Amino acid sequence: MATSTNSIGKNNGIRMSRRTFTKLTALGTAAALSGISSVSAIQDKFPLIESASASPEEPGVTLVKSTCSHCAVGCGFQGKIQKGVCIGIEPWLENPINRGSMCSKGASIAEILNSPLRLKYPMEKVNGQWKQISWTEALDKIANKMKEIKATYGPDSIFYMGSAKVSNEECYLFRKFAAFNGTNNVDHQARICHSTTVAGLANTWSYGAMTNPWNDMRHSGVILFCGENAAESHPVAMLHILEAKRRGAKFIVMDPRFTKSAAAADMYVRFRSGTDIPLIWGICNVIVNNNWHNKDFIAKRTYGFDKWWDVVKEYTPEVVEDITWVPADTIRQVAYDWAFPPRGEGYANCICWAMGATQHTVGTNNIRSFACLSLLMGYAGRPGGGTNAFRGHDNVQGSTDMCVLSHWLPAYYGLDEGSWKHWIGVWNRHAPITYEEMKAKFAEHNGKSLMHVKGITVSRWYEGVLNREFPINQPNPIKMAFVWGHSLNSISEMKRMKEAMEQVELLVGVDPHATIAASLADRPDGIIILPASTQFEEEGSVTNSARQVQWRNKLVEPLYESKPDWWIMQELAKRLGFGEHFTYTNMEDVLREINLGSNVIMMRESPERLKRQQLQCTTECSVFSCEDCQAKSGPLKGEYWGLPWPCWNDEHPGTPILYRNDIPVSEGGNEYRTRFRGPDSTPGNPLSDDGESMLGAAYGYPEGYDEKNSDGTDGPGWKFEIDADFKALIAQNICPSGAGRARFRAWNLPDPVPVHREPIESPRPDLVDKYPTYDDVADHFRVKCLYKTIQQERKNLVNDYPYILTTGRQVEHMGGGAETRSCEYLVELQPEMYAEINPTTALELGITHWDYIWVETLRGKCKVRAYVTERVNEQTIFMPYHWAGWLEGESYADRWPEGTGELAYGDSCNVITVDGYDRSTNMQETKVCLCKVYKA
Amino acid sequence: MVTYKFLNVIEKCIDCGACFAICKDQNKVPHGTARVQVVTINEGRPGEKNIPVSCMHCTEPPCEAACPVKAIYKREEDGIVLMDKNKCIGCGYCGWACPFGAPQYPHGLHGDLKEWEGIMDKCTLCVQPFVPLEKEREPSPRCALFCSTKARLGGDIAAILPVYREKKAIYTSRWQERVL
Ligand code: SF4
Ligand code: SF4
Ligand code: SF4
Repeated sequence: MATSTNSIGKNNGIRMSRRTFTKLTALGTAAALSGISSVSAIQDKFPLIESASASPEEPGVTLVKSTCSHCAVGCGFQGKIQKGVCIGIEPWLENPINRGSMCSKGASIAEILNSPLRLKYPMEKVNGQWKQISWTEALDKIANKMKEIKATYGPDSIFYMGSAKVSNEECYLFRKFAAFNGTNNVDHQARICHSTTVAGLANTWSYGAMTNPWNDMRHSGVILFCGENAAESHPVAMLHILEAKRRGAKFIVMDPRFTKSAAAADMYVRFRSGTDIPLIWGICNVIVNNNWHNKDFIAKRTYGFDKWWDVVKEYTPEVVEDITWVPADTIRQVAYDWAFPPRGEGYANCICWAMGATQHTVGTNNIRSFACLSLLMGYAGRPGGGTNAFRGHDNVQGSTDMCVLSHWLPAYYGLDEGSWKHWIGVWNRHAPITYEEMKAKFAEHNGKSLMHVKGITVSRWYEGVLNREFPINQPNPIKMAFVWGHSLNSISEMKRMKEAMEQVELLVGVDPHATIAASLADRPDGIIILPASTQFEEEGSVTNSARQVQWRNKLVEPLYESKPDWWIMQELAKRLGFGEHFTYTNMEDVLREINLGSNVIMMRESPERLKRQQLQCTTECSVFSCEDCQAKSGPLKGEYWGLPWPCWNDEHPGTPILYRNDIPVSEGGNEYRTRFRGPDSTPGNPLSDDGESMLGAAYGYPEGYDEKNSDGTDGPGWKFEIDADFKALIAQNICPSGAGRARFRAWNLPDPVPVHREPIESPRPDLVDKYPTYDDVADHFRVKCLYKTIQQERKNLVNDYPYILTTGRQVEHMGGGAETRSCEYLVELQPEMYAEINPTTALELGITHWDYIWVETLRGKCKVRAYVTERVNEQTIFMPYHWAGWLEGESYADRWPEGTGELAYGDSCNVITVDGYDRSTNMQETKVCLCKVYKA
Repeated sequence: MVTYKFLNVIEKCIDCGACFAICKDQNKVPHGTARVQVVTINEGRPGEKNIPVSCMHCTEPPCEAACPVKAIYKREEDGIVLMDKNKCIGCGYCGWACPFGAPQYPHGLHGDLKEWEGIMDKCTLCVQPFVPLEKEREPSPRCALFCSTKARLGGDIAAILPVYREKKAIYTSRWQERVL
């Protein structure tokens, strides 16, 4: 464990005076603001910059470096540990991502960790009463029930809801755990936060992740937000964005709501919720019609431009104005800025989004349109450019990479035989297991092994319980569910979910808090909750949104009776008869196992390398630059912070900017993978479905090349060669994943080129027939999914439900809010659930600020405070989604076990959000539905 | 001579509340009392600005002048305005005198803190937590160090002023007219 003690004056033996210390404090701030140059300038003057982060003069206090658990920025901080207790936190000024900064959630970490409201011991609900049970009893009961259900209904009748809040190692073990339990019914938050980003980006150019690091936005010409509110969801990202703005970048925010980010922007564009695609196509339309697009780049590195233009040419600014409510001239202005960044020639622009764009029935298409906007000007793969998906949870990139998902195996391997064999090959090294043995664990259904069939998603797991007509691929309903570090109030259709929670035979909650997994269901028994320790009571690696992997140190031993998640899995595995596959004693070994198999993303960051980086970042501020996160001096010179994947081998510095091909692969260069091939492709010659070459130009090669085996021959060996280090290929500057083309047209998607589709509940009945949603789908991840039927049924809903309901974040709360709503500081800042309503609308409805109001949709209603503000326009109502504890105006606080619970409760907006789901990934639609509002 | 001050580049403050929360973490300030708070003007419309407000450690502190029992004093060596909680009678005069509403008078406390009920508390530049220590700590403004966008600068005025000027200058020149 890397620790540093209070070491003022350690380097030269002189104890600094109070004045020097504070001067440094101020300069530390200055250093963080400016780039490397001023940091080194200060270094020269004050070689003791390290002390700027030393603890106050408290004897016996150790400072332990760690990573914030609240969002995917991945801010570093230092826990102040005294006698094994975390008594507070101090800034970690040398961390290149945040240079000490944190937001209110990060600043409350110690309070959250020490919360007296945490779940303290395993508990079971019996005869309507919560009773304390021992760990042994709890685990025995759970394991026996699992065995019973597997025997009676089959392995697919247990649903495993995993978490993005645990380390990579635990995510990986969780996916492995589900596999050994013989089911693909495993899923987690990534499904409901950025699954559409992954589908959209990966189908455009191979990887589904944020392309450029946070700090890189300092070099952007234009920073364009579309459905992102970083000031509330990723506050420390604003450190870099506002620095870019200061240096001359133009910061444009496009959002249905005038967010806190919009307040900090240069330009704000308000558009109608659910019309992102026409808005982006309008911008593209202006660019192409004016001939501003980057023809050279499009010819060399992309595919399908002409067919794409056939669609996009219809979206003229005037057409778009009618759909989006954005004036045509505003669209032209944004298009001009996008083509000619006002910061100056040579700057690339980036587009950033989060849930505002992903959580739609057309989420995947939204993201595809952003990627096309980036491709159009050739900004993808350049410093300052790229497409930056701001992910949510602290380790949601990692949990996605580890694929706690119902349609993938770790590191984006599919469910086909080859992929299973690849991972079984890795697992076999820990304890013997063969493909046949694994297959025997899975059920067969309709003559097919369910091993190869996508499981049910977290967004609709309750349908797996309630639905009696499984169209194809689920033999029996779900009878038992694990809610393992997942906030249920972030899933829509909560009333149906409540019903499902009351129907399953056993519900198991695993979380540091009791959460609504314990309390939402109104049932007398059949719930067991286990106290998992927090992220700061165990160690492991976490991957932030920018693919930077950081080692999170343990601050203190698990409090109360709480246990690390991996220990719980291990104990269950033992009882279920496959304990030998989970006999790990430390997380380092698990990471090494991950390193073995994660070829697709080349996640080869060894624990040793991660810890070495942290150690270096402890001693000198100038080591990792704030400009590009690269080590500029010291033994790690050249390495990028967090070794962002692909990190090809133990010498590779990491790839901070995806698809950047003007630098060698060995220094972080990268190419679009040659991942896409139509039916006529031959090895070495990938073709699209319409016969065009999918090889792009790379590294001075006139043509690209297909995927390579590690010996240099054509073929996808790089994905499956467990022990290859690819050094020979990389020395020749060959990217083993090939050099392909990014796709304007993705032929395998429901919409190869995205088109506008009105939301299920549209405020514009006149547009529904012109821009209809999808046809109903009979089997969407094992569940039926209605689109057109319900859209047609609700075509004129706007007459009775006149307002658009949209939902989003509050800076003080995170996810379902169980942790943050239990924290006194945060609750003091944000004590109550509310709905934002425009003053004019409020006046019409006779509502005054902070009145109780009802917000009602077809699904139900919420009783909340009215927050009268011009943030929303007259047609829109906004609600934050972090709240729980009330259901349609009635508190169910009494259902929490005594001594747990939260400090602030409110109605959950996901009780009333719409029953629409993304066509590709089953992401829930939370950003558009129709509602009415009246005084309570 | 060192002079401690706060300077806020308000164009950068995003109302994230870190200053508020970390001050509570560091100084264990009880619920209902805040040494630094963010005030938002023009909320929800163009021109929205957030301003973190705390004690400004005035050069000529009106609170000091107003205090009838001389509980408030300005430290000579560094200009930090501190209070002697044992002398304070909780009359609230300093609150009236302060142009920023910095002095707070905690009420409704429980447990150990009961004895400080109604006694003035405000920013001490982290020199003293809510329950005063015998020995003062080094001044080191956690709110500024943790500020998510480095909008809040705190420390010796000679050190932070140049930073403030650099950060502020460009904000007021380039795109500002569009936002204001
Ligand atoms: S309390 Fe108010 S008047 Fe007194 S020093 Fe602080 S800001 Fe100035
Ligand atoms: S300087 Fe310290 S005491 Fe003053 S407001 Fe900031 S954190 Fe609180
Ligand atoms: S921490 Fe900084 S950005 Fe956040 S509210 Fe305080 S002053 Fe503003």
